[in-house]
Amino acid sequence: MQSSPNMLTKACILITLVFESKSSRAKGIAFHPKRPWILVSLHSSTIQLWDYRMGTLIDRFEEHDGPVRGINFHSTQPLFVSGGDDYKIKVWSYQTRRCLFTLNGHLDYVRTVFFHHELPWILSSSDDQTIRIWNWQNRSLICTMTGHNHYVMCAQFHPKEDLIVSASLDQSVRVWDISGLRKKHSAPTSFTFEDQMTRANPSQADMFGNTDAVVKFVLEGHDRGVNWVSFHPTLPLIVSAGDDRLVKLWRMSDTKAWEVDTCRGHFQNASACLFHPHQDLILSVGEDKTIRVWDLNKRTSVQSFKRDQDRFWVIAAHPEINLFAAGHDSGVMVFKLERERPASAIYQNQLFYITKEKHVKSYDFTKDSESPPILSLRKLGAAWVPPRTLSYNPAERAILVTSPTDSGIYELINLPRDATGAVEPTNMKRGQGTSAIFVARNRFAVFNQSSETVEIKDLSNSTTKTLKPPTGTTDIYFGGTGCLLFITPTSVVLFDIQVKKQLKELSVNGVKYVVWSNDGHYAALLSKHNVTIVTKSLEQVSTLHETIRIKSATWDDAGVLLYSTLNHVKYSLLNGDNGIVRTLDQTVYLVRVKGRNVYCLDRSAKPKVLEIDPTEYRFKLALVKRNYDEMLQIIKNSSLVGQSIIAYLQKKGYSEIALQFVQDPQTRFELAIECGNLDVATDMAKELDRPKLWSRLGVEALAHGNHQTVEMTYQKQRLFDKLSFLYLSTGDQEKLSRMAKIAEHRGDFTSRFQNAIYRGDVEDRIQMFKEVDLYPLAYLTAKTNGLAEEAEAILKTCGLTEDQLKLPQVGETLQTPRPIVPTFKSNWPVKAAGHSSFEKALMGEVSIGDEAAGENGYDHEGDETGTAARESLEDEEEGAAGWDMGDEINVEDDNGFVTVDSAEAGAASSEADLWARNSPLAADHVAAGSFDSAMQLLNRQVGAVNFSPLKERFLDIYKASKTYLPATSGLPPLVNYVRRTTEETDSRKLLPIIPRDLETLVSVDLQEGYAAMRSNKLEDGVKIFKRILHTLLVNTVSSEAEVEQAKKIIATAREYILAMSIELHRRSLPTDNPESLKRSLELSAYFTIPKLEVAHRQLALMAAMKYSFANKNFSSALSFANRMLANGGSPKLLDQASYNLSLLSAKKTKVQCERSPQDKIDTEFDLFAEFEICAASLTPIYGGSPSVSDPYTGAKYHEEYKGSVCRISDITEIGAPASGLRLFVSSVN
Amino acid sequence: MDPFSTEGELVNIHSAFHQGQYQDVIDFDASAFSPENQLPARVLQLRSKIVLGQPEEVLAEIEGEDTPDLVAVKTLAQHAAGDTASALHVAQELAEKYSENATVQVLCGTVLHAEGQSEEALALLMKHQGNLEALALIVQIHLQQNRTDLATKEVTAAKRWAQDSLLVNLAESWVGMRIGGEKYQSAFYVYEELASNPATSSPVTMAGQAVAELHLGRLPEAEAALSAALQKYPDNAELIANTIVLNVLTAKDTTELTSHLQKNHPSHLLLTDLEEKSAFFDTIAAKYAPKVS
Repeated sequence: MQSSPNMLTKACILITLVFESKSSRAKGIAFHPKRPWILVSLHSSTIQLWDYRMGTLIDRFEEHDGPVRGINFHSTQPLFVSGGDDYKIKVWSYQTRRCLFTLNGHLDYVRTVFFHHELPWILSSSDDQTIRIWNWQNRSLICTMTGHNHYVMCAQFHPKEDLIVSASLDQSVRVWDISGLRKKHSAPTSFTFEDQMTRANPSQADMFGNTDAVVKFVLEGHDRGVNWVSFHPTLPLIVSAGDDRLVKLWRMSDTKAWEVDTCRGHFQNASACLFHPHQDLILSVGEDKTIRVWDLNKRTSVQSFKRDQDRFWVIAAHPEINLFAAGHDSGVMVFKLERERPASAIYQNQLFYITKEKHVKSYDFTKDSESPPILSLRKLGAAWVPPRTLSYNPAERAILVTSPTDSGIYELINLPRDATGAVEPTNMKRGQGTSAIFVARNRFAVFNQSSETVEIKDLSNSTTKTLKPPTGTTDIYFGGTGCLLFITPTSVVLFDIQVKKQLKELSVNGVKYVVWSNDGHYAALLSKHNVTIVTKSLEQVSTLHETIRIKSATWDDAGVLLYSTLNHVKYSLLNGDNGIVRTLDQTVYLVRVKGRNVYCLDRSAKPKVLEIDPTEYRFKLALVKRNYDEMLQIIKNSSLVGQSIIAYLQKKGYSEIALQFVQDPQTRFELAIECGNLDVATDMAKELDRPKLWSRLGVEALAHGNHQTVEMTYQKQRLFDKLSFLYLSTGDQEKLSRMAKIAEHRGDFTSRFQNAIYRGDVEDRIQMFKEVDLYPLAYLTAKTNGLAEEAEAILKTCGLTEDQLKLPQVGETLQTPRPIVPTFKSNWPVKAAGHSSFEKALMGEVSIGDEAAGENGYDHEGDETGTAARESLEDEEEGAAGWDMGDEINVEDDNGFVTVDSAEAGAASSEADLWARNSPLAADHVAAGSFDSAMQLLNRQVGAVNFSPLKERFLDIYKASKTYLPATSGLPPLVNYVRRTTEETDSRKLLPIIPRDLETLVSVDLQEGYAAMRSNKLEDGVKIFKRILHTLLVNTVSSEAEVEQAKKIIATAREYILAMSIELHRRSLPTDNPESLKRSLELSAYFTIPKLEVAHRQLALMAAMKYSFANKNFSSALSFANRMLANGGSPKLLDQASYNLSLLSAKKTKVQCERSPQDKIDTEFDLFAEFEICAASLTPIYGGSPSVSDPYTGAKYHEEYKGSVCRISDITEIGAPASGLRLFVSSVN
Repeated sequence: MDPFSTEGELVNIHSAFHQGQYQDVIDFDASAFSPENQLPARVLQLRSKIVLGQPEEVLAEIEGEDTPDLVAVKTLAQHAAGDTASALHVAQELAEKYSENATVQVLCGTVLHAEGQSEEALALLMKHQGNLEALALIVQIHLQQNRTDLATKEVTAAKRWAQDSLLVNLAESWVGMRIGGEKYQSAFYVYEELASNPATSSPVTMAGQAVAELHLGRLPEAEAALSAALQKYPDNAELIANTIVLNVLTAKDTTELTSHLQKNHPSHLLLTDLEEKSAFFDTIAAKYAPKVS
């Protein structure tokens, strides 16, 4: 399984580590009954409070002096008690984190302390040989029990009755009756004499021998001191552990108690022991560093776990959930004893699950009802090992259950038709396997980790296929139709069962569970701390990390993943956005989400319904899908506010939507600026009225061309210069002169001058210059602008004449630019995109056409500038587009209701026609019936000219592409087109099925060919190999790798056909004349040239050798023999015996030939020359001599054969120009 | 009340007819029906006989009858008997005169479509008022014209008012088999349900199941289904034809089955189509020749 140490054992019961602390020796442990807390008292005097779920130390309590041995939580109050070697018993409050008080009285080490489950009592045991009961409410000692004559190591209350059990180093276990004590302290209504007597003599035997606590039984059986003792929670049983290394089981009745049995196994002192709260198991720990689990009924060891270094001192059980803690020399370990995750499977509205009693039950989501038990799996696996997984097959109403017992077994069981109670299954099939899941209606896959195989089995449990998963595979899951997912520690592999091929591998660490979405398009891969969402083709969509352990997940119908961690239900959208849906107070396993209900199984395998508020994730989903209507709905109907959603919207770039949620003006302003909503921004700025905001608004408004807002912001900020310039640029003369007046009022001459320039107001300028005594400038200005009189007047004022002045070159009158468009009248038109459809919906603007740019000034002014025209044009388009949308909806509705008028009718092209369109491969054209284009393709690709041998293949493909579905009687059947990929429905990607794929060719045809070769049926062989060539010529493959494979097969077929033709030709030759004998010998030599499988080459060599030898061509025979021996190799295709025999005869021949290595008949066969064989003439083509080859098979020919039909393929023209055969298109469009 | 609806007394005979259990239809005791249902029942029985290849008997039986329903049956019988010209003629006449009659719509629609007058057939069928048979026929015609889109619309519309009807389910499966993908599986479920129940099993449903399996790429299952069906109905044309297709796909010999089909159903689509393609092949292949022969 996993390499991590948290799976401590292999088989049977799993001890799963939950938490481990490091500290000094732990002597006492106590679980909090509700919270995930554990108290650990240490030998070092410290008491630690841990959160074992989060793995954090919450608190430390250090008031004891010396080791603290006893520790216990109160079951309801925020209290705990401790007892130590300082003789003290301390009661603490974990809320105030203080010791409330100390109970003094013991005269030696306090060993254990326990609260009573209902009375305000504390029970303590001590080395002073006493057991004492204290009332923690009035902080007094109420009873002292004496009797043990050595240290009392442990004393515990009975969980229900008025009994105490104690263990002592005096080798005895004692059971005490404390009903008297209870009677005395349970507020008597009237005082009897007896009562008064007992009251008067506390903790002493009265005159009749009655005391508050009397020894009921003394259990003797341990040979050494007894360290621990506990009651069974429900049965009258006691278990004790002692220094005699034994764990003893005792039974008691009302009148007596006796030893039942002994569990032997610890090889050092047994320190502590207890009963499993729910199961028939005993747990014990000892100084031999082991935790041992025993079967209560058989008293046999079930399991043991050993630590390397640390002796165990104490063990405690959680009162409710399946958790245990053991204290040892260097800390505490908290562990689970069995798998809590109930095995379950969902089909439509039914959940099938296995209860703790190992009953199969179903739960109906629609009716919210639980079925009675359907089946009992009591006999599956070991008694205390719950089944691990459940897989359900709706077609057969069968289940597959796996159990980790005996390193994994599975059972296939048919569910009874109706649930009649927990019946034992009949007619079940079983086998070995780590995991077993249904992969199809009548197939299931069984994974065997030890043998690293996956077997595909049918419902009769016989294997139909064996797959080899990647090494290190730990588990398998359903991988979508026809596929499996292999889980390895570092990756997940998608595997196609049909073609036995790995489709995709995704590296994800430590995946433990795979949860498919309801539509099967997505899967969530859960590992301990990560969720990875993938598509059905194993493309990663998103991944997220959780610091807390992830327990389970399920998909909402809308494609939202809900997952549970130890303490939360969370959601994740496909894009990885996630958040908390609700908190959990106990771990649950989610199985289904429906509306506001989350269905889950709790740790005790009971179905539970949790209510959730799906608003947040639905909203986010709607946002992602841009489903504004739904968003609107959500906003209207629920109180979806809060910083998180605003931050989320803002982060995702939906400021305009976030705006709808915000009240705070500052935030609103920010958002409004962000999304360019100036109106809102202006409102907010007015509300806040801060210069900084105005300035930002101004900048933003300027960018929008919204000069009215800009004007306002400038006014607010008193930016007169900017205002003036704004008026200038917008052509607002009136306001500009007002600005001049303002400047005059303010006495700001620079500003006045500026305004005067902007306005082209020369008089004002001159006036101003005069006012500031800049007469030269005033004069110059007057002069320049041709105001001679004014100039004169200025001269006069200054008392100067013209000739006294030296004027610079005077320029032309400054012409201020005049705006053509009265821009100031309205804002720069902005495309009305500011309102998202969402906002519109929100504001109730249902009709989209309304907002044709009425307000943008240009339209009603009839201005003819190009911009305006263009703008309004765009607006029109906008409006039109808006209407179009509306229209479309109507059209669709119409079509839905009204039968279509015949104008739309008429035949269309069939799917077969699409095939030819979708594919450039000849085979697909053939399937489409488009033989002409197919032949054209083949002619171009491989120079095919003689098609008649292909006729059968063509018709076969054509035949196989269509099925006949009987429909209305009296009419021909409906023709349907068989597709290559059954999932494909995109008409542009549809392709036909092509019979006899590469796999069949390799596994059937090629083998037949080899068989023909082996059995010397060469005529058949030639036919078979030619058929292979013909089949491959018109075919398709599914990957580049297969293209390569196909090429290899073509080459193989070519070589075999050539070889067989040579041999057949040789056999047809007469051998009576020397000419043909020579030829015959040559041919037999050529027979050895083609590249056959080694074993077949040996056959050829053997034949050639024998033939040469018989004709006394010893030299040739010798060379053949040598080649045979050199080939040696592995006898793959021949059986060992005959193979050895042939090698033997080769050796013999060799020896004989070596005596006289000469050829009697000279042949043209040159052993050492490089040559190929012409497939037509069957003569050699030596290297360098001219040759032509066949474009399809690649067979070589002498040049004179160019243009004739290839002898190998019978179809293609030798030496024809060709582009090469295409069998595969990487991505078909 | 619609006599074919789930409560109507004709529902069983009607279902049997459309599940392809023609002999069962003929064996129905028609006299048990109420008078107004006598005629539709008789029409169904006559149609069953025609399907089972006894058009001559039917013709003899309704000689001289002039109820439009029976005349419509007559055209169908004539058509089945090979007298296509007069069948077409009468059908056209009927279609004009009694276009409101449900039987006329369906039977004449069938004849018209079979004779290539698909548009006329559609025009006639479109006049139906909640006649599921007509609807199924419309769907089939659309499909044969490769107008899956229109067929889908018809079915979706029909599902609004006849959700659970067998015919709508079947029609939906026909469309599903064209659309493919997940629809194959739902079509398969429809046929499987019918075929696996002995009460509704027939060559039609079994062929449907097998074809769906085949399209789903589950060849071993398809093979099992077909061989089981062929054992029961060795002469059924569709079963043979689909087995031929399957055998080609699984690379098995088909000669025997082909000759079997040739013998029993010489005019089956598979054979005629293949013949045509074979000739086509020869014509095209003749255009190519090696430069040197």
